[in-house]
Amino acid sequence: MLRALASTGLNRCRPKTAQRRDACTSRGTKASPKFDLEPYLFSRVWDTDCAGARRTRDVGAFIMHMADALLSPVIGGAMWLGSGAAIAAASRHLRRRADDAMVPLMGMLGAFVFAAQMINFSIPATGSSGHLGGALLLAILLGPHSAFLVIASVLTVQALFFADGGLLALGANMFNLGVLPCFVAYPLVYHPLAGPAPTPRRSAVAAVCAAVVGLQLGALGVVLQTVASGISSLPLQGFLVVMLPIHAAIGVVEGLATAALLLFLHRTRPELLTAAPEIAAPQRRPLLRRLALATLFTGGVLSWFSSTQPDGLEWSVARAAGTQALPAPRAGVHAALDEVQHRIAVLPGYSFPDALPAAFPAAFPAATPAPAPGFEAGPPKAPQSRLPPKPPAWPDVNRGTSLSGVLGGLVTVALVAAIGLGLRWRRRLN
Amino acid sequence: MSRLATTLQDLRALDALAARSTPLARRDARAKLLVTLCFVVTVLSFDRYRVAALLPLALFPTVLAAQAELPARTLWRTLWLACPFALMVGIANPLLDRAPMLVLAGVELSAGWVSFASIALRIALSVSAAVVLIGSTGMPALCAALAALGLPRVFTVQLLFLHRYLFVLVGEAQRLSTALDLRALSGRRVGLALHVSLLGQLLLRAFERARRVHQAMLARGFDAELRLADPQRWQQGDSLFMAGWCAYFVVVRYVDLPQAIGSFVTGLVQ
Amino acid sequence: MNPPAIVLQALVHTYADGTPALRGVDLCAMPGEALAIVGANGAGKSTLLQHLNGLLMPSSGSVQIEGMALTRATLREVRRRVGYVFQDAEDQLFMPTVHDDVAFGPLNLGLAAAEGQARVQAALSAVGASALAARATHRLSGGEKRAVAIAGVLAMAPSILVLDEPSGGLDPAGRRRLIELLRGLTQTRVVATHDLALVLEVCPRVLVLHEGRVLADGATAELFADEDLLRRCALEPPLGGWARIAAAQQPR
Repeated sequence: MLRALASTGLNRCRPKTAQRRDACTSRGTKASPKFDLEPYLFSRVWDTDCAGARRTRDVGAFIMHMADALLSPVIGGAMWLGSGAAIAAASRHLRRRADDAMVPLMGMLGAFVFAAQMINFSIPATGSSGHLGGALLLAILLGPHSAFLVIASVLTVQALFFADGGLLALGANMFNLGVLPCFVAYPLVYHPLAGPAPTPRRSAVAAVCAAVVGLQLGALGVVLQTVASGISSLPLQGFLVVMLPIHAAIGVVEGLATAALLLFLHRTRPELLTAAPEIAAPQRRPLLRRLALATLFTGGVLSWFSSTQPDGLEWSVARAAGTQALPAPRAGVHAALDEVQHRIAVLPGYSFPDALPAAFPAAFPAATPAPAPGFEAGPPKAPQSRLPPKPPAWPDVNRGTSLSGVLGGLVTVALVAAIGLGLRWRRRLN
Repeated sequence: MSRLATTLQDLRALDALAARSTPLARRDARAKLLVTLCFVVTVLSFDRYRVAALLPLALFPTVLAAQAELPARTLWRTLWLACPFALMVGIANPLLDRAPMLVLAGVELSAGWVSFASIALRIALSVSAAVVLIGSTGMPALCAALAALGLPRVFTVQLLFLHRYLFVLVGEAQRLSTALDLRALSGRRVGLALHVSLLGQLLLRAFERARRVHQAMLARGFDAELRLADPQRWQQGDSLFMAGWCAYFVVVRYVDLPQAIGSFVTGLVQ
Repeated sequence: MNPPAIVLQALVHTYADGTPALRGVDLCAMPGEALAIVGANGAGKSTLLQHLNGLLMPSSGSVQIEGMALTRATLREVRRRVGYVFQDAEDQLFMPTVHDDVAFGPLNLGLAAAEGQARVQAALSAVGASALAARATHRLSGGEKRAVAIAGVLAMAPSILVLDEPSGGLDPAGRRRLIELLRGLTQTRVVATHDLALVLEVCPRVLVLHEGRVLADGATAELFADEDLLRRCALEPPLGGWARIAAAQQPR
C-alpha cells in the first residue's frame, strides 16, 4: 500500500502518455473484481482524474454529515421526529398540488444531485475543491417542499449505500441539510432577496447569501446535536469556533456554484427557472407558523438537555451571561419537561439502567459499580442524577478489574468471530 | 479511478449482492429494518465510556452478514471509509479529556482514549448494520417496507425513481467527466466555468429524461395514482427473528457480558 | 367494413419556437397493416409518431384512431388502443423490476390482479423474456431492455403498435429476434426507422418523409428501387447502399 501511496503522489505532475490514457478508459469502464484499496482510498477524499493523478482535496467530504456515533438516542429520535413531520407535511402539500409530472422529475433531479456532489471544481488559491450541495438549487427549481423530499431521499441513499452517517443520524442530516436550507434559507433569504422575477445577477447574489445562511444554520445544528448528545467531549464554544467559519467558506462556494448554474439555465432554458411555485404572501403565514413551531420544538429539546447536560451549554451560557450557574430549572417549562423526562426515561441515556444492578445486585454481579471503578462505568452515582459518569480521579484505578474487563472483551471478540466463521463454513458446505 | 467510477462500481456491487436469494434476503424487509433500528438505538444508548460492553453487539452484524452471504471484503471496505467526520470529532476526546481511567499492561489510558474507542466501535457497529441491511434487501423491497411502515407514498415512489435512474445519471456524469479529462491537459484544474458547463449539461439531460419518462408513463395510462408493489407477507419466522434479536439487545444492554466472562476466566485461572 | 386504423388529414405541427416540423401529412392505414416511416434526421418521423397516441397535439389538421377523433377528451381511450415503444428503452422502463414495469400498463387499465398477472406472463413470453421477470430494470442489457419495453406495451393489448427506432443499438441476434417478433404480430404496426433492411423484411408499405412532407407512399420494393427519390431524401438503398449498385453496374 505504501508503494501505491508513493506512486500516486508521483503521478500527479507527470504529463499524460498514451499508455496512461488507455489505462484511464479501461479503468473507468470495467468493474474490477478484485479488492483494490488504493484508488478507493484516494478517490473518496481526493478527486482523481482518469490518469490516476490526484487533483484537489474535497473539503466538503469531511464535514456536515452527522454520524450515529456522536448521537444519543434521544437527540437522534427527536431529530427523526422533526424530519419525519417535515416529510409528512411536504408529501401532503405535493399530493394537494396533484402535479403528476413532479414525481419522475424529483427522482431524476435527486439522481442528478447525487452525481453532481461527486464532481468537484477547484477553488483558486487554495488546494481544495468544492462541490454543489444541491438543496438551494432544488428549492429554486422545484419549490421547497419537493426540494426537501429530494434531499431527504438523496441522504437516504447515501446513508444506506455509503454509510454516510448512519440510520439514526439520517433524521439529523435530513434536518440540517434539508429542512434548514429548504424551509428556512430559501423562503427567508433567497426569496425576499431575489424577488418574483429576478435578473441573473440578483438571483446570483441571493443564492450566495441563502447558501451561506443555510450552511451556517446546518453547521449550528450539527454542533448543537453533537454537544447535546454528550458522546463527544468537544465544548460548545470551541466547536462552533471551528465549524462556523469553515461552513461560511463552504457556503460561499456552494452559493457560487448554485449561482453559476442558475446563470447557465437562464441562458439556455429560462422557462425552467420560472416553473417553481412562488411563495406568495398569503402562503407565507402557514410557513411562519410552522417555523415558529419548529423553533419552539428545538428550543424545548435544547432546554431539556441544558438541565441534564450542563457542561457544554452551561459553560457557554456562563461565558455569555457572566454568571456562574444556570438559574434553577424548577419553574415553568423546565419543571414540566423534567417531569416528562422522569416518566419516559425508558431510553437509557444516562444512569437509569445502572439503577437496575444497584437494585438487584445478585443478578448482576459483574456490573456492581462499587467500590472501585474499572474498565467500564464510572463512579457510583445516585439513580436520579442525569449527569454522564465522570471518570474517577487518579489513583483510584483498579488493575484487577481492568484486566478482567480486557480479557472478557477479547474472549467476546473471539467468540463472535468464531460464530461468524462457523456460520459461513456451514453455508459453504451446504 | 475517479470518484464517479468508484461510486458506480460500489452501487452496482451492493445492488448485485442484494439481488441474490439468501436466507436473510427472504426475511421480511420490515422486520430487518425495525431490528436494525433497534440495534442502532441499543448501540447508542450506552454511555460514552463503555467499550467492552458494546462488543457482544458485534454478534448481530456478524451473524446477519453470514446469513446474507455478504463477503467480508464488502464490510471491511465500507468500514474503512465510514464517517471521517465522526472520527475527526472523536479524536478530540483524547485531547480534551485527560483524566486517567485505566491501566493496561503498564500503560495508562486516559478517559478520552476510552471514549474515542467507544466512538470508533459505535461507528463500526452502526455502519456494518446499515451495510448488512442494504446488502440483503433490494431497494424495491425496502421502499415497500417503508411505505408499509407509514412513510408517505410520494416520498417512497420518488425514492424508487431516484434509485432507478441513479445508475443512468452517474454513468452519464462519469462519461462526461472522462471526456473532459481526456481533452484537458494534465494538471489543469477544473475551474468553476468548466464545472458549470458539465453540470449544466447533466442537469438539462436530467430534465429532458424526466420529461420523456413522464411521457412514457402517460403513454401507458398513468393516472396520477402512485402504486407500489405490496410488501412480502409477514411470516412467523419474521416475528421470531425480531423477538429473538430484540431480546438479545436487551440482555446485552443490561448485563455486562464481557466483564462477566472476564471475571469467570480470571476466577478459573486463580 | 372496419374503419381505418389511422387517418391523418393535413396534419401540421409547429414547435413552440416557430420551427415547422410537419407541413401537412396525409395518411390512411388499415387494420393489420405494417407500415414503415423513413426519412433523414429532422424529417419529422418522431414528431409524426407522437401524434398517433396524443403525446403531441396537431397545430392544425386532424388525427383519427379507429374512427375516433383525437381530442383531449379521448386521450385516455386513444392511449389504450395505441401502444408506443419509445426510442430509448431506458426512459420507458421506469419501474424497479421487470415484472412491475410490464404490469404498470394493465394496472392503470384497472384490470384485476389475476388478469393483470396473466397479461404480464403472456407479454413476457411473447418477447422471450419470461426469465427476466424478477430482474431489476437497471441491470438489463440493451436488447433485454428493448424486449421488456415491447412487452410492457403488448401487455396493454393495443390494436395499434407504434415503434420509434426499435432496432437502434441492438446486436445482430437481438435485431433478428425483433424482426421475427414484428413479423409475427397481427396488430397494425407503424415503425419509424433508419434500418432500411428491417423495413424490407417487416413492412410491405413505406412512407418517405422529407422536411415535414410525405414525398412518397407505396410498396417498399418499388420505392427502394427508385434511386432519384432516395437521393432527394438523403437516403440510400438498403443492403449495401450506392456502392452495391455501382458494383453491380460495373462492366465485368
